[in-house]
Amino acid sequence: MNEVIGIIIAAILCWLNFVIVDTYFGLPEQAGVRGAGLVGKDVEKRGGDIAGGYFQGNILCSPDASAGTLLASIGYLLLGIPGGIIAAFFVFMGNRLCADPGYAGTCGSLTATLILFICCSFLGFAPEMFIVGMVIAILTVQGIDQVRASVVLGKIAEKFNRHARE
Amino acid sequence: MFDLMDSTIFFASYGNAFGLSNITLGSFDIFLAYIVAIIVSILVALLLKLPLLPGKPYRYSFDVSAIYPTPIIAIGILSIFLVLNYTFMYNGLVLAIVIGILSALFVKYLFDFVFPKPLNEDNGEDINE
Repeated sequence: MNEVIGIIIAAILCWLNFVIVDTYFGLPEQAGVRGAGLVGKDVEKRGGDIAGGYFQGNILCSPDASAGTLLASIGYLLLGIPGGIIAAFFVFMGNRLCADPGYAGTCGSLTATLILFICCSFLGFAPEMFIVGMVIAILTVQGIDQVRASVVLGKIAEKFNRHARE
Repeated sequence: MFDLMDSTIFFASYGNAFGLSNITLGSFDIFLAYIVAIIVSILVALLLKLPLLPGKPYRYSFDVSAIYPTPIIAIGILSIFLVLNYTFMYNGLVLAIVIGILSALFVKYLFDFVFPKPLNEDNGEDINE
């Protein structure tokens, strides 16, 4: 497969994977630690959405499905499917060290391993595409425009009934 | 000659043909070992009187249970053994059973000691105040 097209598709798949898993497990609902709450309030002060701000703060402060997807891609590149499962195990330990129950991180890495297995075995992707794609996906959430990204994340949180205001 | 990244990845994936971490084990054997590890760990955790589901609210509970995190620990450690090409007898089934039992024991007796629950979930000190 063409590398550029593969990276774009992989970035979209990774974005959907980690945003859906993180939103389902309630990252926009409340700030897990104090730092995440501070990030959320700061984003809201700059005109963003409080739920999206909590989301960004939470994926900043502990390894959630975003880090799980990235580590699962790296593990799959190195060791195949067992590598993805080892990544889930390590993400779980990291979550517990960061005062986080760890549901989002482990589920995110396991679903990412499943997506990588399907795409790399049957559809001709390479695991490297998913590593680059995940870096791009995190960049769109945290890097380019935090305020607008938080508005989009807040809308997704409302769809999943996980908004912080309710 | 000094292509370190490529040679590192090549060395790390040596003997791992796309997920078949052990050339003596087929993919079905590995799949079966994972299933056995998951089932044994859940069963032993239930025998040790761990609850099946974590306490409510589900998504924010720090309690250990039979569904989570016992099978995660079991399959994680089993995959480390598979990647290191150490599969004991009977196509890795014995290893899967032993790891399932040990991970359930770990979750029951040692987990709170190794990963303590966070203190002061609601009333920790705030750096703003």
